[in-house]
Amino acid sequence: MSQDNGAHGAAGATNTTQKNETTAAANVASTDASLEGRAKSRNPKNGGKPKWWLWSLIAVIAVVALVVGVNTYFTNRQNGTDGGATVSGGQADTVSIGLKLAPVNLDIRRQSGSALEQILIGNVYESLVSRGSDNKVHPGLAKSWEVSKDGLTYTFHLNGKMNFSNGDTLDAEDVAWSINELKAKKYYNYDQVRNLDKAEAVDSQTVRLTLTAPDSNMLWYLTGRPGLVYDKDATWDEKTGALGSGPYTVESFDPSDKIVFKANPKYWGDEHKAKTGNVIVRFLPDDNAGINALKSGDVQVLSPITATLAGPFRKNPDYVVKSGDGSDKFVLAFNMTDAKLSDKRVRQTIRYATDHEQIIASRGGVDAELGGPIPSVDPGYEDLTGVYPHDEAEARQLMKEAGYSESKPLQLTLTYANVYGTELGDQLKSQLKPIGIDLKIDYVEFSTWLQDVHTNGDYELSLVDHAESHDFYKWATPDYYYHYDNKEVQALYAKALAATTDEEASKYLAEAAKIVSEDAPADWLFSWRVTIAYAKGVEGFPQNLSQTVLPLWQVTYTPSK
Amino acid sequence: MRFVVKRLLLFAAALFGVSVLVFAALRILPGDVAVVMAGTNATASRVAALRAEFGLDRPYVVQYLDWAGGLLHGDLGMSALTGRPVATQVGTRAAVTFPLIILGLVIALAIGLPLGCAAVITRSPRLRGFFHVLAIAGGAVPALWSGLLLLLLFGRGIGVLGVLPSQGFPTDGWSAPGRAFASLILPALATGIVAAAGIMRYTRAALEDIAADGGPVDMAMACGMTRTQALLGVGLRLAAPQLVSVAGLTFASMITGVMVVENLFALPGLGALLVGDVGNRDLVAVQSELFLLAAFFLTLGLAVDLAHRALDPRLADDKEDR
Repeated sequence: MSQDNGAHGAAGATNTTQKNETTAAANVASTDASLEGRAKSRNPKNGGKPKWWLWSLIAVIAVVALVVGVNTYFTNRQNGTDGGATVSGGQADTVSIGLKLAPVNLDIRRQSGSALEQILIGNVYESLVSRGSDNKVHPGLAKSWEVSKDGLTYTFHLNGKMNFSNGDTLDAEDVAWSINELKAKKYYNYDQVRNLDKAEAVDSQTVRLTLTAPDSNMLWYLTGRPGLVYDKDATWDEKTGALGSGPYTVESFDPSDKIVFKANPKYWGDEHKAKTGNVIVRFLPDDNAGINALKSGDVQVLSPITATLAGPFRKNPDYVVKSGDGSDKFVLAFNMTDAKLSDKRVRQTIRYATDHEQIIASRGGVDAELGGPIPSVDPGYEDLTGVYPHDEAEARQLMKEAGYSESKPLQLTLTYANVYGTELGDQLKSQLKPIGIDLKIDYVEFSTWLQDVHTNGDYELSLVDHAESHDFYKWATPDYYYHYDNKEVQALYAKALAATTDEEASKYLAEAAKIVSEDAPADWLFSWRVTIAYAKGVEGFPQNLSQTVLPLWQVTYTPSK
Repeated sequence: MRFVVKRLLLFAAALFGVSVLVFAALRILPGDVAVVMAGTNATASRVAALRAEFGLDRPYVVQYLDWAGGLLHGDLGMSALTGRPVATQVGTRAAVTFPLIILGLVIALAIGLPLGCAAVITRSPRLRGFFHVLAIAGGAVPALWSGLLLLLLFGRGIGVLGVLPSQGFPTDGWSAPGRAFASLILPALATGIVAAAGIMRYTRAALEDIAADGGPVDMAMACGMTRTQALLGVGLRLAAPQLVSVAGLTFASMITGVMVVENLFALPGLGALLVGDVGNRDLVAVQSELFLLAAFFLTLGLAVDLAHRALDPRLADDKEDR
């Protein structure tokens, strides 16, 4: 207050001094008068302050009004165009799909990651034979095939009159060239078809593959990257674009945002012809951003949706929520070369002590228990959850035998990537504590995990989602980071590969998987069942295996009126 | 003039230091782009082949010289993963981030400056208290939270008043200026409101200092201005250099600050780019991006310093006297 008085007093003082100068000219006197008048009218206790308030208030209101107005306008206009962009049947000509994982580039011959297979195979690139949502082999570029009795020669008969999206003809030459290049340049997953010797074009419609040894997985692997057919006469920027024979072409791609597909006008087939003109796949790594995008209609499909956040959509009749089977296995691997973990009792303890039901419940209760290395969608699957049921007493007993207890715990470190969230590690820590295991969690970036655990094999416990299907070979390859070396399993796996019928192969695989599970080189926490949510009116989005097989040609959206 | 030359030399030296520091710091990270590219099915020989392809098997000094040599030619290098020039990548992302920051700063100034002035001009202790609390509360709100609240209020399809787009940037970018601008409003408000509190505090402090100092403001009032006129006409003018510094700093801190907001609103900005590239160990891209950011911070500092001297001639006299 004193300051206020001072300021006022100073103004008054000015006036007084000037008034005392009686010799002042008339105009000076008039300034005095006006000053005096203003000083009065600007009485700080009344008129002065509120005016400032008023101005700021008016400015704020004006800005808000402007913003809201402008945006209502644009919103309406945008909705107008959206509404207009439908074809006669009411079906939208654009479908937007939200996925969580983005491929960093489109170089499917070099870059790892199932995100790449998910969006490109069957959509932009096509393989010799195709994979269905049942995880089985179906006709692809080849309409039929024969396998010789000894399992060493595969003869494929191609569909007639096929072409790439640039107009180039696709014939047996392109098929043979693509497969031979894979072997020669050691492209991604070339080692999956290591038994393949060469591919030849017999005539323009027939391709013959020669194997060095029978391989019961060969056809299935040819549905994936090893079987993709590229245009041998074309070049394109493989990291930013894609040129294939599929029902869609890539219009634009930005790994941080979206990939835009346009129906391929020159598509050769009728069966897989695109039903929707444009498909936009948005990459939404943040769970909440994904939910918001689905709610606000920016995407019509969200895959996957975090199961614990799907509740409101389940209750809402405007949405459909489904969970499907997949090949994702959350593997808690035990380093078999580690001194502490080479003791089988310790490994068994962890398997008995882990409460899978609780883990699954906390993740939303849709995932499935998995007791062994083979997921339910793969050949050789058996329910192995009974091998090590949750049994704390048994776990405690085994720990006692191994020489540990809660007061003298075994120290172990779990290294896992931060993409899976902290909850899993915390749950394991608290489940293992009463058994006598003090679990330290090393929560790292995925690239760090790749280097330390996967490449260097430097870890005690590791947790990762092995998404691939048909990947039992990892348990038969001792230098894989599991370091699991069991001659019996390797022999059984070799027999499974050499088998000439699917039944025989499955039998050997199941036998091998059971031995692996009993040996406890890992605990399989659960098989991730992917939950998807989509707006009512979306048709054709696959329920199963959508993380690896996503046939966009069949997806349509008909907005409800 | 000497000041400008000295300042520029310092700028160049700092850039060199930054380049070495950035390069060295990134080599400490475990893993590299070859391992990431090869993935979980890879054999050791495949990783080694990729490493050779990217030149990662060469000594660090050679790799540094290679990169720094490129920088001198204005070549930021190519991203090993995406196969696009780093400059293009930064350019497309900056087209989202910079308009966002500028819009945020404009909002911050539009709110912070008037409120800061009002806090000094008002004489009611109650109002002063209110402004004080407002500044503290505003500064304490995390941008993530204000962003969520704004989404719940205005986000289309989510909010009570669903008028503004809540997610992403339009497919065609700035070629649809209206929609591009609309998609930036909520994120800009989320960052702007928080920054406004800071600007408000600084404005109040700077103005109060000048008012308490007595001299100029009292003199202005002695010459016939009212207190409000004196504070706004003379006080604010004197506070300008300080406020320019603060605005510059706010701008700089927003570059990193908007990363969270970009994530929340799924905007393809610089933050997402940087986080993604570090995660993928695309080190050539990361070091070029960090270098660019550092260069930008330094340029901003330079611009603020030069602006000071333009705004306050007394500064120039002081220096030259010395």
